[in-house]
Amino acid sequence: MKKDHKTKLLLSLILVGAVSWALFAGNGSISPGEILSALFGYGDRVKKVIVFQLRIPRVLAASAAGAALSVSGYLLQKDLDNTLASPGILGINNGAGLFVLLYAWFFPYRYGGKCIAAFLGALLVTAFLYLLTAWTGMSKSSVVLSGVAVSALCLSLVDVIISLKPETVADRVAFQIGGFASLNISSVYFAVPLIAAGLVFAVLTAPSLDLMLLGDEVASGLGLNVRRQRICHIVCAAMLSGAAVSMCGIVGFLGLIVPNVVRIFHHGKSRGGIVSCILLGAAFLLICDTLGRILVFPYELPCGLFLSMIGAPFLVWMLAVKKKRLGIR
Amino acid sequence: MIEVHDLTIRYDDKAVFRAESALFEEGKISAVIGRNGSGKSTLLKALSGQKMYSGSVKIDGKECAELRPMERARKVAYLPQILKSANMDVRTLAEHGRYPYHGSFRRPTEEDRACVEKALMITGMKALEEKNLGQLSGGERQRAYLALVIAQNSSMILLDEPTSFLDHMYREDFFAILQELKKAGKGIVMVCHDLEQSFAYSDRIFLMEDGVLHSGMTAAGLSGEEDLLRRNFGVVLKPSEDSGSLYPFVMKR
Repeated sequence: MKKDHKTKLLLSLILVGAVSWALFAGNGSISPGEILSALFGYGDRVKKVIVFQLRIPRVLAASAAGAALSVSGYLLQKDLDNTLASPGILGINNGAGLFVLLYAWFFPYRYGGKCIAAFLGALLVTAFLYLLTAWTGMSKSSVVLSGVAVSALCLSLVDVIISLKPETVADRVAFQIGGFASLNISSVYFAVPLIAAGLVFAVLTAPSLDLMLLGDEVASGLGLNVRRQRICHIVCAAMLSGAAVSMCGIVGFLGLIVPNVVRIFHHGKSRGGIVSCILLGAAFLLICDTLGRILVFPYELPCGLFLSMIGAPFLVWMLAVKKKRLGIR
Repeated sequence: MIEVHDLTIRYDDKAVFRAESALFEEGKISAVIGRNGSGKSTLLKALSGQKMYSGSVKIDGKECAELRPMERARKVAYLPQILKSANMDVRTLAEHGRYPYHGSFRRPTEEDRACVEKALMITGMKALEEKNLGQLSGGERQRAYLALVIAQNSSMILLDEPTSFLDHMYREDFFAILQELKKAGKGIVMVCHDLEQSFAYSDRIFLMEDGVLHSGMTAAGLSGEEDLLRRNFGVVLKPSEDSGSLYPFVMKR
């Protein structure tokens, strides 16, 4: 078996383990046996409600959001040719969060459009940064710094909205740090199909990412419409981030950590890299969410807290120690 | 075959490049020479469909601008001057040469695999196929990228200063590969700065002078245009009288 296949098998096993742990871990009032019975349609109604309306949607939401944010980061890093690019750092998540709140302000209790609003917010920030880069020809570090500025602006507007209209979010902390405590099942129904479509698109068009690694002129000489493909990937990255944010709030760092960890062990084609990002991202966010649920039970810590605790040192490590190896400029 | 008629390329409404007519044929090596900034690279970009132009550039009888990008890439391969050291191995790079045939959605066929294998063999990169581009020397990387355009299996290959970063040995190796491709019926158009090598290895030489392309001449024909050569390069090229000379035409003041 090839090394690449072995790695993917290992990541799949980690994801299966994370899903099982997330399903079975939690409130002690329901045992693993009762969960299994409920999964197969047996047991009392309350247990079935817990499994089918709380645990499974949450597992689905956490794994979909993890995969979406990781692949979004991977696409942005490849498209902008910058290993520091991620939906969190560039302010895309904050842009999506801002539009989610604006939507909740103007259309309260209508969850259907939340996902579209988040997508629009993410798309606006991404398009702004892309056009800024294309027009000014700014350096990679300047793009990141511009993203940080946009991110700060969006975050301050988020604060303004939450202060003026506290009812726009069910759980302010979970929304701003990122978490699934106030997950609404309607959001899951809207966001998960969007994420699935984005992931399929990313996997199918992955070979064009490899071509773009060779430079625009070589890629164009090979018959790739570079500009159209780049725009498609950026829209896809925005859609994935927006859909994730509509479910779990502003989760940071995942889109930075996972693609860069994947780059350490995956040196092959981008399709394999995207699949690894899906498996690792889903497992990682699920593990963080489950830890948050059980560590201080009956209270709950938002999963974004763990990501920040891991992500911030990871960023410093990337900048300081692995500068040459990861090719950060 | 690439035919050029009344070609004009503009920057900010100012014509920076003009060519009345030129013919780049299959089975021949055509060199484009000229001073820095005379428009050589611009010409190659127009021929490969990467630059907007007015006039006509026909590839196998079809207007270049009307060809779909994948179809164009199956007819013309283009290698720019600056080549990136991407994080991938040599075989993967060569495999990308088959993109115009299967795109993003279809799996590579036996024919694709055979073309990649042949490209690696011709360029001598088979032994280094698992090496990452970052681990290669400048000459090896140039040959790896040449494997990419050979795998593309197009009838015309456009190379922008392919030997500018290579030492003498690598240059000679590179030209030997180009001769092999010529024998296989490929048409090669290359921008080249080395006058002696251009005169030695090319069937036709096109001189660019201040954005105007002079029609193609043989090495012997162009060596007789002393005023033109002196005006552009400050030297002339004369047939070598020394049997130990490396090239058939040598530079003289």
